[in-house]
Amino acid sequence: MHASAQPLLSVKDLAVEFDTEQGIVRAVDGISFDIYPNETVGLVGESGCGKTVTGLAILGLIPSPPGRIAGGRIEFGGRDLAALPEHAIREIRGRDISMIFQEPMTALNPVFTVGNQMIDVLMRHRGLTRAQARSGAIEMLAKVGIPAPAKRVDEYPHELSGGMRQRVMIAMALSCDPKLLIADEPTTALDVTTQAQVLEQINKLQDEFNMAVILITHDLGVVAETCGRAIVMYCGNIIETAPIEPLFATPRHPYTAGLLHSIPRIRDVKLAELPIIPGRVPDLLNLPPGCRFADRCDRVRPDCSEARVALHRDDGADAAVACLHPLVHQAGESHV
Amino acid sequence: MSTSTADVVAELSRGAVRRESIWSKARYKFRRDRAGMIGLGVVVIYMIVALGVALGLWAGNWSDVGGGKWGPMSAAHWFGTNVIGQDIFARALYSTKTAFEVGLVVAVLSTAFGATLGSLAGFFSASWLDEIILWIMGVLDSIPFYLFIAAIIFAMPDSAYSMHVAMIATFWTSVGRLVRGEVIKLRSLEYVESAHAIGVPEFTIIFRHILPNTSHILIVQATITFVAAIKSEVILSFLGLGVKDGMSWGLMIAESTQEVLAGFFNNFLAASAFLFVLVMAFNMFADALQDALDPRKVS
Amino acid sequence: MSEPKDTPFLEVRDLKKYFPVRGGLLRRVSNVVKAVDGVSFSIPAGRTMGLVGESGCGKSTLGRTLLRLQEPTSGQVLFDGNDITRLSKRELIPERRKMQIIFQDPYASLSPRRTVAQSIREPLDVHRIGSAAERERRVIELLDVVGMSPQVRDRYPHEFSGGQRQRIGIARALALNPGFIVADEPVSALDVSVQSQVLNLIADLKRDRGITFLFISHDLAVIQHVSDEIGVMYLGRIVETASSEDLYKDPKHPYTKALLSAIPIPDPTRKRKRIVLEGDVPSPMNPPGGCPFHTRCPEAMAICSTTVPTTINAGTDAQPHEVACHLFPG
Repeated sequence: MHASAQPLLSVKDLAVEFDTEQGIVRAVDGISFDIYPNETVGLVGESGCGKTVTGLAILGLIPSPPGRIAGGRIEFGGRDLAALPEHAIREIRGRDISMIFQEPMTALNPVFTVGNQMIDVLMRHRGLTRAQARSGAIEMLAKVGIPAPAKRVDEYPHELSGGMRQRVMIAMALSCDPKLLIADEPTTALDVTTQAQVLEQINKLQDEFNMAVILITHDLGVVAETCGRAIVMYCGNIIETAPIEPLFATPRHPYTAGLLHSIPRIRDVKLAELPIIPGRVPDLLNLPPGCRFADRCDRVRPDCSEARVALHRDDGADAAVACLHPLVHQAGESHV
Repeated sequence: MSTSTADVVAELSRGAVRRESIWSKARYKFRRDRAGMIGLGVVVIYMIVALGVALGLWAGNWSDVGGGKWGPMSAAHWFGTNVIGQDIFARALYSTKTAFEVGLVVAVLSTAFGATLGSLAGFFSASWLDEIILWIMGVLDSIPFYLFIAAIIFAMPDSAYSMHVAMIATFWTSVGRLVRGEVIKLRSLEYVESAHAIGVPEFTIIFRHILPNTSHILIVQATITFVAAIKSEVILSFLGLGVKDGMSWGLMIAESTQEVLAGFFNNFLAASAFLFVLVMAFNMFADALQDALDPRKVS
Repeated sequence: MSEPKDTPFLEVRDLKKYFPVRGGLLRRVSNVVKAVDGVSFSIPAGRTMGLVGESGCGKSTLGRTLLRLQEPTSGQVLFDGNDITRLSKRELIPERRKMQIIFQDPYASLSPRRTVAQSIREPLDVHRIGSAAERERRVIELLDVVGMSPQVRDRYPHEFSGGQRQRIGIARALALNPGFIVADEPVSALDVSVQSQVLNLIADLKRDRGITFLFISHDLAVIQHVSDEIGVMYLGRIVETASSEDLYKDPKHPYTKALLSAIPIPDPTRKRKRIVLEGDVPSPMNPPGGCPFHTRCPEAMAICSTTVPTTINAGTDAQPHEVACHLFPG
């Protein structure tokens, strides 16, 4: 499917470390993945798995006293973003790669109007005059579905609702026509009805702007509805990647399967007891040798704890899994 | 699962450093702050000196007249003697006890008083109780400090503790305000609601659940008040409103005003040096303590 | 499991909670936030009612007002026939033994300065139940019920994960053997793989101890597993109440339908027509006239903007399905 196209973004062996009082934590431990133009990829996992840190690392936003990129390459547009100095990355941020965050209230500056913040971005990256930037901003607000954009452009963030603020963030992120949008839990803080609106908007805009989207989330429902492909992370490693339908229908890694089974969902028949994944996520400072999921896995064998399990891609397939004893599915079987 | 970068670090720290409480983290951070450790060391030395004086181990001879008038620094009298022949060094040592006594009494009582009233005001905020307490704080803060102290001392001329009372009456307001703010914040946390739901009476909630969670603020405020009390005492004694029995650095400095005109500086230098070193050390200690306990850095 | 009794254990009649908004120099009351605007429902003993709605709908306020953690503005709350809104603060204290609450935020629901044992034992201390030794035994017993080992008793909350803290909070809520528990978004702050563990625990408690629950959540998927009946709230009012089968199979109120269709389903093969609502949730300070939902309702009619719909039973007497909507004039 993607074999012939060139990846837009290519992450190779990325590692990110943080200094904490009890030692060095490797939040991301040598991950590799590619993003192709115009695709929506979900980066999925629970808290602490490293998905947010990965997103921040791509744009050089890891806070530098405690954290740093400890290894690997992030290839984009022929350059290694991990090795670029700050002023070079600043050129790329907002213009070629944009990011939106979970809490729109803290991501937008409360003392400036919405319009001011967008005009700022447009003037800086596109070299427009203030008047041109203002009309560009109004146009973008209309594009993200904000009613009465000419009025809204002069409002302050606190005057807008959560859903609208998120759309303003999207408008700001897209105003310079980036090739890649990184969306970090963009709808987690929103109500479910607003979430539906915002996700629909992101889908629409992705088509219109021809950009790739990395959607970082813990919500598998959101992934199922918006992504073409998903990368599942656990404890700083990628443990499975696959196109969306096979991932949900025939997950191969026991964690993916466990997650799909245990998330609360609306069922046609009520269960007596919900399936669970026993135990909890290991402490990043006290990682077991070998597979990090071993102590919670019901398929564990002795060789699982011996050595790090690498991500193994089947020849010619789009899918890969990091497991010595992955689930094998019969033809026609589906987990959903 | 938040994404601001500070939250990312906090999330990681929370997962990775789960066994740390605010105090053990603070201890760890404090130990790495060299200035703070030095400050603490010096303060401890002073404290031992004060204790020794109180136990009669040294400086018992501070009021003995024996050396000559304005004797120079010598083996017998390390800082020389003052105008009536008393050993300056012994007087300075004795004053350490005075300083600590004032500092501790004022710091502990004003912090306790401020914490109590502040937590009542905060817990019942926007009620008449809060309004009254705030009003009192406002009034006390508007009265110029030295005027107020002079007035109190005038009103209690025979008491040895009039100065202490005056200082406590002034210093409690800053503690009170800080505690009030923190209590307003803590009051809406779920563990307080839970205590309500269990049926814990309100005063018990304040003193058992809320106040202990302000202890990081109280400790820092107490150290700040300690220093403020010592410094105020110096000025008050200088003005004649301070210590009556015993000796203090302020009194020594007051004494020395005539002497420096005559060219004799030892008295002044001894008192000032002792005072300066203690205040400096305490400030370094308090700054480091505040940084170590800062909840934003200790999340 | 015993059959639920006929007399409802909890009955709420026209409960209202308004918050005055003070503004201006003299802090005069300028406006009112109608957080809970006339809510009535009942829960039979041993059953669980789920209360679902989005932010600002008033469900958390309702939970707290029921327990008089906030004082109701008007209305009645009857526990086993006794109206607790009439009791003085003193008289309320012994009643509190019968009703407890579990909170959403596992990080704020336990006092950081008290050990696990102290937190769990506090209800027993306050109500002077049993001797000191008996209270200790009960703490261990409760820890066991929620699946935690007795060794954790001397540790502090910061040493535990969110899921574990939630269990400790549940143990504390059980200490007084309450007949009624309000669970306010108990799993929303937890990781998905931990949510099911805690939900199973709650379902077990319900089954083994016959506790009546009011389970508040914004997540319809979570609520389905634990609830017998479900009420849907919007802007301070309940717009639909039905048994949990009926609500999911046959939602009647347009808001319920929109809510159900908005939930992302973790199944990429299910393509369905999404009802995407226009506009945002109005502020509870300025609720629209008539039916509170009419500004966003895809099926709004002229009457919806002028008249508040009455609640009628669109189901049967045996299986009631109440809805407040002009599409069901009753």
